[in-house]
Amino acid sequence: MKTEYLLVLAAILVFPLLLSILMPIRMYKHLRALLLSMGIVCAVYWTWDVLVTARGHWSFNPAYVLDARFLGMPVEEWLFFIVITFVAIFTYEAVRLVVERLGGK
Amino acid sequence: MKEYTILAGASAVFAVLLDRYLHTTVLRKREYWIAIGVMFFFKIPSNGYLTWRPVVLYNPEYFLGVRLWSIPVEDFFYGYGFITLTIVLWEYFLRKERTS
Repeated sequence: MKTEYLLVLAAILVFPLLLSILMPIRMYKHLRALLLSMGIVCAVYWTWDVLVTARGHWSFNPAYVLDARFLGMPVEEWLFFIVITFVAIFTYEAVRLVVERLGGK
Repeated sequence: MKEYTILAGASAVFAVLLDRYLHTTVLRKREYWIAIGVMFFFKIPSNGYLTWRPVVLYNPEYFLGVRLWSIPVEDFFYGYGFITLTIVLWEYFLRKERTS
């Protein structure tokens, strides 16, 4: 199925998005910090990825990715970094909230 | 040359050093290590699927060829550096917001 990589990304997002409705995560109140940190990390890792994909470190199986490509990489690979940076910050903030609620530190 | 091995290792070291340099000290925080644990727990099935299928094919010239399940060991260092850099910069910009 050509949508498999896309479905993996969707699966990674489901849990955090559901939880973010239930938890008062502060990340949305700090949009500037959120966009700056996500933006810088994405820029660095996109650059790395474009260069080494062109060099042949890895390739993407056309059977499981969409045909849409940009600078040699499938759109899913571009989305991957946006998804993971978001989920990383979300997870960190969710854990912090739980630790605080439990009265730790 | 095992370029991916070198780059993945270097990226992990870089993220750890940046945490010291920016004084964000996330590596001393309990929530950081728990978050790393949670992320890696979910990384194994997703990264595992992508490499088992395989959606992503790795060139044997550039990585060691050592895999945990189907995941190249380099991916763990890559993921660690990637997640750590994100959290370090998030803490850095949060702090800047507070002090400005």
